[in-house]
Amino acid sequence: MTIPVLLYSLVGLGLFYCQNLLLFPQVRLRLLGIFLFYVGLRPSFPLAFSLALILGVLQDSFATTPIGLHLGSSLLLVGMARFCRRRLLLQKMGPLIIASLVALTLQETGVLLILMLLGIQPFALSDLAAFRGLELLATAALAPLMAALVQGLEKLLIRYGWRALSSSTAE
Amino acid sequence: MRPRVRFRTSLIIAATLLLIVALLSLSLKRSPLLERVEGTVVSLAAPGLQGLRYVGRTVMGVWEGYIHLVGVQQENASLRQRLQEYEQKDLRYQEALHSLTRLESLLNLKKQVALPVTGARVIAYDPSLWSRCALLDQGQDRGVKRGHPVLTADGIVGRVVEVYPHYSKVMLIVDRNSGGDAMVQRTRVRGILQGKGGNRCSLDYVPKSADVQVGDLVLASGLGGVFPKGLVFGKVSEANKKTAGVFQEIEVTPTVDLSTLEEVAVVKVVNLATTTP
Repeated sequence: MTIPVLLYSLVGLGLFYCQNLLLFPQVRLRLLGIFLFYVGLRPSFPLAFSLALILGVLQDSFATTPIGLHLGSSLLLVGMARFCRRRLLLQKMGPLIIASLVALTLQETGVLLILMLLGIQPFALSDLAAFRGLELLATAALAPLMAALVQGLEKLLIRYGWRALSSSTAE
Repeated sequence: MRPRVRFRTSLIIAATLLLIVALLSLSLKRSPLLERVEGTVVSLAAPGLQGLRYVGRTVMGVWEGYIHLVGVQQENASLRQRLQEYEQKDLRYQEALHSLTRLESLLNLKKQVALPVTGARVIAYDPSLWSRCALLDQGQDRGVKRGHPVLTADGIVGRVVEVYPHYSKVMLIVDRNSGGDAMVQRTRVRGILQGKGGNRCSLDYVPKSADVQVGDLVLASGLGGVFPKGLVFGKVSEANKKTAGVFQEIEVTPTVDLSTLEEVAVVKVVNLATTTP
Protein backbone atom coordinates (compact mmCIF):
# COMPACT_ATOMS: atom_id res chain seq x y z
CA MET A 1 0.00 0.00 0.00
CA THR A 2 2.89 2.31 0.74
CA ILE A 3 4.25 2.28 -2.77
CA PRO A 4 0.96 3.23 -4.46
CA VAL A 5 0.33 5.99 -1.93
CA LEU A 6 3.82 7.28 -2.46
CA LEU A 7 3.50 7.17 -6.23
CA TYR A 8 0.11 8.87 -6.29
CA SER A 9 1.33 11.44 -3.79
CA LEU A 10 4.29 12.20 -5.99
CA VAL A 11 2.01 12.65 -8.98
CA GLY A 12 -0.20 14.88 -6.83
CA LEU A 13 2.88 16.85 -5.79
CA GLY A 14 3.82 17.18 -9.46
CA LEU A 15 0.37 18.56 -10.23
CA PHE A 16 0.73 20.96 -7.31
CA TYR A 17 4.08 22.12 -8.68
CA CYS A 18 2.58 22.47 -12.15
CA GLN A 19 -0.22 24.55 -10.70
CA ASN A 20 2.28 26.72 -8.88
CA LEU A 21 4.88 27.13 -11.54
CA LEU A 22 2.96 27.10 -14.78
CA LEU A 23 -0.64 28.04 -14.19
CA PHE A 24 -0.59 30.46 -11.28
CA PRO A 25 -1.67 33.27 -11.24
CA GLN A 26 -3.31 33.34 -14.66
CA VAL A 27 -5.09 30.00 -14.51
CA ARG A 28 -6.65 28.44 -11.43
CA LEU A 29 -7.58 24.94 -12.46
CA ARG A 30 -8.38 22.50 -9.67
CA LEU A 31 -5.90 19.91 -10.83
CA LEU A 32 -5.52 18.25 -7.46
CA GLY A 33 -9.26 18.19 -6.95
CA ILE A 34 -10.02 16.45 -10.21
CA PHE A 35 -7.09 14.09 -9.73
CA LEU A 36 -8.48 13.12 -6.35
CA PHE A 37 -11.93 12.67 -7.82
CA TYR A 38 -10.65 10.20 -10.40
CA VAL A 39 -8.52 8.37 -7.86
CA GLY A 40 -11.66 8.19 -5.71
CA LEU A 41 -13.50 6.54 -8.58
CA ARG A 42 -10.97 3.71 -8.65
CA PRO A 43 -11.52 0.61 -6.53
CA SER A 44 -9.06 1.30 -3.71
CA PHE A 45 -10.66 3.45 -1.05
CA PRO A 46 -7.68 3.49 1.36
CA LEU A 47 -5.51 4.82 -1.42
CA ALA A 48 -7.96 7.61 -2.22
CA PHE A 49 -8.41 8.42 1.45
CA SER A 50 -4.68 8.56 2.13
CA LEU A 51 -4.11 10.65 -0.92
CA ALA A 52 -6.86 13.05 0.13
CA LEU A 53 -5.18 13.40 3.51
CA ILE A 54 -1.76 14.00 2.05
CA LEU A 55 -2.82 16.40 -0.68
CA GLY A 56 -5.20 18.17 1.67
CA VAL A 57 -2.44 18.79 4.19
CA LEU A 58 -0.11 19.85 1.39
CA GLN A 59 -2.56 22.47 0.16
CA ASP A 60 -3.37 23.57 3.68
CA SER A 61 0.32 24.02 4.43
CA PHE A 62 0.76 26.38 1.52
CA ALA A 63 -2.41 28.34 2.22
CA THR A 64 -3.21 30.91 4.85
CA THR A 65 -6.55 29.31 5.63
CA PRO A 66 -6.81 27.08 8.72
CA ILE A 67 -5.44 23.58 8.44
CA GLY A 68 -8.28 21.22 7.74
CA LEU A 69 -10.05 23.30 5.13
CA HIS A 70 -8.42 21.76 2.08
CA LEU A 71 -8.16 18.47 3.87
CA GLY A 72 -11.89 18.47 4.50
CA SER A 73 -12.68 19.51 0.94
CA SER A 74 -10.39 16.78 -0.41
CA LEU A 75 -12.09 14.18 1.70
CA LEU A 76 -15.46 15.52 0.59
CA LEU A 77 -14.37 15.10 -3.00
CA VAL A 78 -13.29 11.52 -2.37
CA GLY A 79 -16.59 10.88 -0.61
CA MET A 80 -18.51 12.18 -3.60
CA ALA A 81 -16.40 10.08 -5.94
CA ARG A 82 -17.19 7.03 -3.87
CA PHE A 83 -20.86 7.91 -3.93
CA CYS A 84 -20.79 8.31 -7.70
CA ARG A 85 -18.90 5.09 -8.07
CA ARG A 86 -21.45 3.20 -6.02
CA ARG A 87 -24.68 4.82 -7.25
CA LEU A 88 -23.97 5.83 -10.85
CA LEU A 89 -22.63 3.89 -13.76
CA LEU A 90 -19.88 6.19 -14.88
CA GLN A 91 -18.50 4.41 -17.89
CA LYS A 92 -18.60 7.11 -20.58
CA MET A 93 -16.71 10.35 -20.61
CA GLY A 94 -19.75 12.64 -20.81
CA PRO A 95 -21.32 11.51 -17.53
CA LEU A 96 -17.85 11.47 -15.99
CA ILE A 97 -17.34 15.11 -16.86
CA ILE A 98 -20.75 16.07 -15.52
CA ALA A 99 -20.13 14.11 -12.34
CA SER A 100 -16.74 15.73 -11.81
CA LEU A 101 -18.24 19.15 -12.44
CA VAL A 102 -20.91 18.53 -9.84
CA ALA A 103 -18.33 17.19 -7.41
CA LEU A 104 -16.04 20.17 -7.89
CA THR A 105 -18.94 22.58 -7.51
CA LEU A 106 -20.01 20.88 -4.32
CA GLN A 107 -16.44 20.94 -3.06
CA GLU A 108 -16.20 24.65 -3.81
CA THR A 109 -19.50 25.28 -2.10
CA GLY A 110 -18.37 23.22 0.87
CA VAL A 111 -15.18 25.24 1.18
CA LEU A 112 -17.10 28.48 1.01
CA LEU A 113 -19.54 27.22 3.61
CA ILE A 114 -16.74 26.25 5.96
CA LEU A 115 -15.08 29.62 5.43
CA MET A 116 -18.30 31.39 6.17
CA LEU A 117 -18.87 29.24 9.27
CA LEU A 118 -15.39 30.02 10.48
CA GLY A 119 -16.02 33.70 9.94
CA ILE A 120 -13.39 34.00 7.24
CA GLN A 121 -14.98 36.09 4.55
CA PRO A 122 -14.11 34.84 1.08
CA PHE A 123 -12.89 37.82 -0.87
CA ALA A 124 -15.12 39.30 -3.59
CA LEU A 125 -17.17 36.18 -3.86
CA SER A 126 -19.90 37.70 -6.01
CA ASP A 127 -17.37 39.16 -8.45
CA LEU A 128 -15.53 35.93 -8.77
CA ALA A 129 -18.57 33.70 -9.12
CA ALA A 130 -18.55 33.78 -12.91
CA PHE A 131 -14.81 33.20 -13.10
CA ARG A 132 -15.01 30.37 -10.61
CA GLY A 133 -17.73 28.76 -12.68
CA LEU A 134 -15.54 28.96 -15.76
CA GLU A 135 -12.58 27.58 -13.87
CA LEU A 136 -14.64 24.65 -12.68
CA LEU A 137 -15.88 23.99 -16.20
CA ALA A 138 -12.34 24.07 -17.56
CA THR A 139 -11.20 21.77 -14.77
CA ALA A 140 -14.02 19.31 -15.46
CA ALA A 141 -13.08 19.35 -19.13
CA LEU A 142 -9.76 17.81 -18.12
CA ALA A 143 -11.63 14.60 -17.26
CA PRO A 144 -10.23 12.50 -20.12
CA LEU A 145 -6.71 13.53 -19.25
CA MET A 146 -7.09 12.73 -15.57
CA ALA A 147 -8.84 9.46 -16.26
CA ALA A 148 -5.99 8.45 -18.56
CA LEU A 149 -3.43 9.52 -15.96
CA VAL A 150 -5.04 7.51 -13.18
CA GLN A 151 -5.45 4.47 -15.39
CA GLY A 152 -1.86 4.78 -16.51
CA LEU A 153 -0.66 4.87 -12.91
CA GLU A 154 -2.76 1.87 -12.08
CA LYS A 155 -1.36 -0.09 -15.01
CA LEU A 156 2.13 0.81 -13.94
CA LEU A 157 1.48 -0.44 -10.42
CA ILE A 158 -0.11 -3.63 -11.71
CA ARG A 159 2.96 -4.25 -13.84
CA TYR A 160 5.07 -4.10 -10.68
CA GLY A 161 2.82 -6.47 -8.81
CA TRP A 162 0.40 -4.19 -6.99
CA ARG A 163 -3.24 -5.17 -7.35
CA ALA A 164 -5.90 -2.63 -6.68
CA LEU A 165 -8.40 -3.78 -4.12
CA SER A 166 -11.66 -4.82 -5.69
CA SER A 167 -14.82 -2.88 -5.14
CA SER A 168 -16.33 -5.56 -3.00
CA THR A 169 -13.35 -5.93 -0.71
CA ALA A 170 -12.84 -2.22 -0.44
CA GLU A 171 -16.32 -1.54 0.72
CA MET B 1 -21.84 -8.39 5.60
CA ARG B 2 -23.94 -5.53 4.30
CA PRO B 3 -24.82 -3.97 7.72
CA ARG B 4 -21.17 -4.22 8.71
CA VAL B 5 -20.12 -2.34 5.60
CA ARG B 6 -22.76 0.33 6.15
CA PHE B 7 -21.64 0.68 9.77
CA ARG B 8 -18.06 0.97 8.68
CA THR B 9 -18.90 3.65 6.13
CA SER B 10 -20.80 5.65 8.70
CA LEU B 11 -17.93 5.26 11.09
CA ILE B 12 -15.47 6.48 8.49
CA ILE B 13 -17.63 9.48 7.67
CA ALA B 14 -18.07 10.33 11.32
CA ALA B 15 -14.37 9.92 12.04
CA THR B 16 -13.49 12.04 9.06
CA LEU B 17 -15.85 14.80 10.09
CA LEU B 18 -14.47 14.66 13.59
CA LEU B 19 -10.94 14.84 12.26
CA ILE B 20 -11.74 17.84 10.13
CA VAL B 21 -13.52 19.68 12.89
CA ALA B 22 -10.71 18.91 15.29
CA LEU B 23 -8.10 20.09 12.82
CA LEU B 24 -9.98 23.28 12.05
CA SER B 25 -10.48 23.95 15.72
CA LEU B 26 -6.82 23.33 16.54
CA SER B 27 -5.75 25.42 13.58
CA LEU B 28 -7.88 28.34 14.63
CA LYS B 29 -6.32 28.08 18.09
CA ARG B 30 -2.91 28.16 16.44
CA SER B 31 -1.86 24.80 17.76
CA PRO B 32 1.94 24.43 17.86
CA LEU B 33 1.61 20.83 16.76
CA LEU B 34 -0.28 21.79 13.61
CA GLU B 35 2.16 24.58 12.95
CA ARG B 36 4.97 22.05 13.16
CA VAL B 37 3.13 19.74 10.78
CA GLU B 38 2.55 22.62 8.40
CA GLY B 39 6.18 23.65 8.67
CA THR B 40 7.35 20.14 7.98
CA VAL B 41 5.14 19.76 4.93
CA VAL B 42 6.26 23.09 3.56
CA SER B 43 9.89 22.23 4.25
CA LEU B 44 9.49 18.99 2.38
CA ALA B 45 7.54 20.35 -0.58
CA ALA B 46 9.10 23.77 -1.02
CA PRO B 47 12.63 22.71 -2.07
CA GLY B 48 11.17 20.81 -5.00
CA LEU B 49 9.15 23.85 -5.94
CA GLN B 50 12.17 26.06 -5.57
CA GLY B 51 14.34 23.73 -7.59
CA LEU B 52 11.78 23.40 -10.34
CA ARG B 53 11.30 27.15 -10.42
CA TYR B 54 15.05 27.57 -10.77
CA VAL B 55 15.23 24.93 -13.47
CA GLY B 56 12.25 26.50 -15.21
CA ARG B 57 13.83 29.93 -15.14
CA THR B 58 17.10 28.55 -16.40
CA VAL B 59 15.41 26.64 -19.19
CA MET B 60 13.33 29.70 -20.08
CA GLY B 61 16.44 31.86 -20.00
CA VAL B 62 18.28 29.48 -22.29
CA TRP B 63 15.24 29.18 -24.54
CA GLU B 64 14.60 32.89 -24.79
CA GLY B 65 18.23 33.95 -24.82
CA TYR B 66 19.74 31.37 -27.13
CA ILE B 67 17.20 29.22 -28.89
CA HIS B 68 13.94 31.07 -29.41
CA LEU B 69 15.35 34.06 -31.23
CA VAL B 70 12.73 34.26 -33.95
CA GLY B 71 12.09 37.88 -34.78
CA VAL B 72 14.86 39.19 -32.57
CA GLN B 73 16.89 40.37 -35.54
CA GLN B 74 13.95 42.26 -37.00
CA GLU B 75 13.13 43.64 -33.57
CA ASN B 76 16.74 44.70 -33.16
CA ALA B 77 16.75 46.47 -36.50
CA SER B 78 13.47 48.16 -35.74
CA LEU B 79 14.70 49.26 -32.31
CA ARG B 80 17.95 50.54 -33.80
CA GLN B 81 16.01 52.55 -36.34
CA ARG B 82 13.79 53.99 -33.62
CA LEU B 83 16.83 54.80 -31.55
CA GLN B 84 18.35 56.66 -34.46
CA GLU B 85 15.12 58.56 -34.99
CA TYR B 86 15.05 59.53 -31.35
CA GLU B 87 18.69 60.53 -31.47
CA GLN B 88 17.95 62.77 -34.43
CA LYS B 89 14.98 64.23 -32.63
CA ASP B 90 17.07 64.79 -29.53
CA LEU B 91 19.69 66.48 -31.67
CA ARG B 92 17.06 68.78 -33.15
CA TYR B 93 15.72 69.58 -29.70
CA GLN B 94 19.20 70.35 -28.45
CA GLU B 95 19.81 72.53 -31.47
CA ALA B 96 16.56 74.36 -30.92
CA LEU B 97 17.46 74.85 -27.29
CA HIS B 98 20.87 76.22 -28.16
CA SER B 99 19.37 78.49 -30.78
CA LEU B 100 16.89 79.74 -28.25
CA THR B 101 19.64 80.49 -25.78
CA ARG B 102 21.66 82.32 -28.40
CA LEU B 103 18.69 84.30 -29.64
CA GLU B 104 17.76 85.19 -26.07
CA SER B 105 21.25 86.49 -25.47
CA LEU B 106 21.06 88.47 -28.70
CA LEU B 107 17.81 89.97 -27.55
CA ASN B 108 19.43 90.91 -24.28
CA LEU B 109 22.28 92.43 -26.23
CA LYS B 110 19.83 94.48 -28.25
CA LYS B 111 18.42 95.87 -25.04
CA GLN B 112 21.88 96.40 -23.64
CA VAL B 113 23.23 98.26 -26.66
CA ALA B 114 20.15 100.44 -26.91
CA LEU B 115 20.78 100.98 -30.60
CA PRO B 116 18.91 99.77 -33.66
CA VAL B 117 20.02 96.20 -34.05
CA THR B 118 19.09 93.48 -36.48
CA GLY B 119 19.78 89.82 -36.16
CA ALA B 120 21.67 87.92 -38.79
CA ARG B 121 22.95 84.45 -39.37
CA VAL B 122 26.46 83.61 -40.36
CA ILE B 123 26.14 81.52 -43.48
CA ALA B 124 29.76 81.19 -44.52
CA TYR B 125 33.36 81.84 -43.58
CA ASP B 126 36.33 82.71 -45.66
CA PRO B 127 38.28 79.50 -45.75
CA SER B 128 41.56 81.09 -46.85
CA LEU B 129 44.41 81.75 -44.46
CA TRP B 130 44.77 85.34 -45.51
CA SER B 131 41.74 86.93 -44.11
CA ARG B 132 39.22 86.32 -41.38
CA CYS B 133 35.74 87.23 -42.43
CA ALA B 134 32.25 85.84 -42.43
CA LEU B 135 29.21 86.16 -44.64
CA LEU B 136 25.87 87.20 -43.14
CA ASP B 137 22.41 86.53 -44.54
CA GLN B 138 21.41 90.17 -44.22
CA GLY B 139 22.21 92.72 -46.88
CA GLN B 140 21.09 95.95 -48.40
CA ASP B 141 17.47 94.81 -48.44
CA ARG B 142 17.54 94.73 -44.64
CA GLY B 143 19.30 98.04 -44.25
CA VAL B 144 22.77 96.72 -43.54
CA LYS B 145 25.49 99.14 -44.55
CA ARG B 146 29.23 99.14 -44.73
CA GLY B 147 30.81 99.98 -41.38
CA HIS B 148 28.04 98.51 -39.22
CA PRO B 149 29.49 96.82 -36.17
CA VAL B 150 28.63 93.19 -35.61
CA LEU B 151 28.27 91.78 -32.11
CA THR B 152 27.28 88.78 -30.10
CA ALA B 153 26.32 88.55 -26.47
CA ASP B 154 29.91 87.60 -25.65
CA GLY B 155 31.49 90.55 -27.34
CA ILE B 156 32.45 92.24 -30.56
CA VAL B 157 32.73 90.19 -33.72
CA GLY B 158 33.81 92.70 -36.31
CA ARG B 159 32.32 95.15 -38.77
CA VAL B 160 30.61 95.01 -42.09
CA VAL B 161 33.02 95.64 -44.93
CA GLU B 162 30.96 94.60 -47.93
CA VAL B 163 27.25 94.78 -48.49
CA TYR B 164 25.34 92.88 -51.16
CA PRO B 165 21.63 92.96 -51.95
CA HIS B 166 20.88 90.05 -49.65
CA TYR B 167 24.16 89.39 -47.89
CA SER B 168 26.98 91.21 -46.24
CA LYS B 169 30.57 90.47 -45.41
CA VAL B 170 31.98 91.01 -41.97
CA MET B 171 35.64 91.53 -41.26
CA LEU B 172 36.36 89.86 -37.96
CA ILE B 173 38.40 91.63 -35.32
CA VAL B 174 41.17 89.10 -35.74
CA ASP B 175 41.60 89.95 -39.40
CA ARG B 176 44.93 91.58 -40.06
CA ASN B 177 43.18 94.57 -41.59
CA SER B 178 40.95 95.11 -38.62
CA GLY B 179 41.67 97.84 -36.12
CA GLY B 180 39.72 99.63 -33.46
CA ASP B 181 40.19 101.91 -30.50
CA ALA B 182 40.23 99.89 -27.28
CA MET B 183 40.96 100.26 -23.61
CA VAL B 184 41.87 98.01 -20.71
CA GLN B 185 38.89 97.86 -18.41
CA ARG B 186 40.80 97.81 -15.11
CA THR B 187 43.22 100.67 -15.76
CA ARG B 188 41.45 102.49 -18.62
CA VAL B 189 44.69 102.36 -20.61
CA ARG B 190 43.94 102.90 -24.28
CA GLY B 191 45.42 101.36 -27.36
CA ILE B 192 44.60 100.16 -30.84
CA LEU B 193 43.27 96.66 -31.14
CA GLN B 194 44.84 95.15 -34.21
CA GLY B 195 43.93 91.80 -35.78
CA LYS B 196 46.77 89.33 -35.99
CA GLY B 197 45.15 86.54 -37.95
CA GLY B 198 44.29 83.18 -36.58
CA ASN B 199 42.31 83.76 -33.46
CA ARG B 200 44.21 86.55 -31.80
CA CYS B 201 44.65 90.31 -31.75
CA SER B 202 47.17 92.66 -30.28
CA LEU B 203 46.72 95.81 -28.30
CA ASP B 204 49.19 98.23 -29.85
CA TYR B 205 50.58 101.54 -28.76
CA VAL B 206 50.36 100.86 -25.04
CA PRO B 207 53.36 102.37 -23.24
CA LYS B 208 55.54 100.17 -21.06
CA SER B 209 54.67 102.26 -18.06
CA ALA B 210 51.01 101.31 -18.33
CA ASP B 211 49.64 98.66 -16.01
CA VAL B 212 48.35 95.79 -18.10
CA GLN B 213 48.10 92.28 -16.79
CA VAL B 214 47.14 88.95 -18.19
CA GLY B 215 43.41 88.44 -17.78
CA ASP B 216 42.49 92.09 -18.07
CA LEU B 217 39.42 92.74 -20.14
CA VAL B 218 39.86 94.83 -23.26
CA LEU B 219 36.82 96.88 -24.19
CA ALA B 220 35.82 99.12 -27.05
CA SER B 221 36.56 102.70 -26.04
CA GLY B 222 33.88 104.12 -28.31
CA LEU B 223 36.36 106.49 -29.89
CA GLY B 224 36.51 106.27 -33.64
CA GLY B 225 32.82 105.58 -33.71
CA VAL B 226 33.07 102.05 -35.07
CA PHE B 227 32.27 99.84 -32.06
CA PRO B 228 29.87 100.64 -29.22
CA LYS B 229 31.66 101.76 -26.07
CA GLY B 230 32.03 99.25 -23.28
CA LEU B 231 31.57 96.09 -25.32
CA VAL B 232 34.19 93.46 -24.94
CA PHE B 233 36.88 92.73 -27.47
CA GLY B 234 38.70 90.11 -25.49
CA LYS B 235 41.06 89.32 -22.67
CA VAL B 236 44.76 90.00 -22.37
CA SER B 237 46.45 86.66 -22.79
CA GLU B 238 50.02 87.92 -22.81
CA ALA B 239 51.74 91.18 -21.84
CA ASN B 240 55.43 91.62 -22.56
CA LYS B 241 57.39 94.69 -21.57
CA LYS B 242 60.82 93.25 -22.38
CA THR B 243 60.85 94.49 -25.94
CA ALA B 244 62.64 97.11 -27.88
CA GLY B 245 60.86 100.39 -28.20
CA VAL B 246 58.52 102.29 -25.93
CA PHE B 247 55.44 100.10 -26.26
CA GLN B 248 54.47 96.82 -24.71
CA GLU B 249 53.57 93.75 -26.68
CA ILE B 250 50.08 92.78 -25.57
CA GLU B 251 48.22 89.85 -27.00
CA VAL B 252 44.46 89.78 -26.76
CA THR B 253 42.28 86.73 -27.24
CA PRO B 254 38.75 87.53 -28.34
CA THR B 255 36.00 86.52 -25.93
CA VAL B 256 33.88 85.45 -28.87
CA ASP B 257 34.74 82.20 -30.53
CA LEU B 258 34.98 83.58 -34.02
CA SER B 259 35.18 80.20 -35.65
CA THR B 260 31.80 79.00 -34.47
CA LEU B 261 29.56 81.98 -35.00
CA GLU B 262 25.95 81.33 -35.84
CA GLU B 263 23.72 84.23 -34.92
CA VAL B 264 25.02 87.77 -34.63
CA ALA B 265 23.58 91.22 -34.18
CA VAL B 266 24.28 94.00 -36.63
CA VAL B 267 24.15 97.47 -35.12
CA LYS B 268 22.61 99.68 -37.73
CA VAL B 269 24.64 102.74 -36.99
CA VAL B 270 27.64 103.59 -39.11
CA ASN B 271 29.22 106.20 -36.96
CA LEU B 272 28.56 105.71 -33.30
CA ALA B 273 30.49 108.81 -32.43
CA THR B 274 27.80 110.98 -33.94
CA THR B 275 24.92 108.95 -32.53
CA THR B 276 23.42 109.39 -29.12
CA PRO B 277 22.18 106.07 -27.77
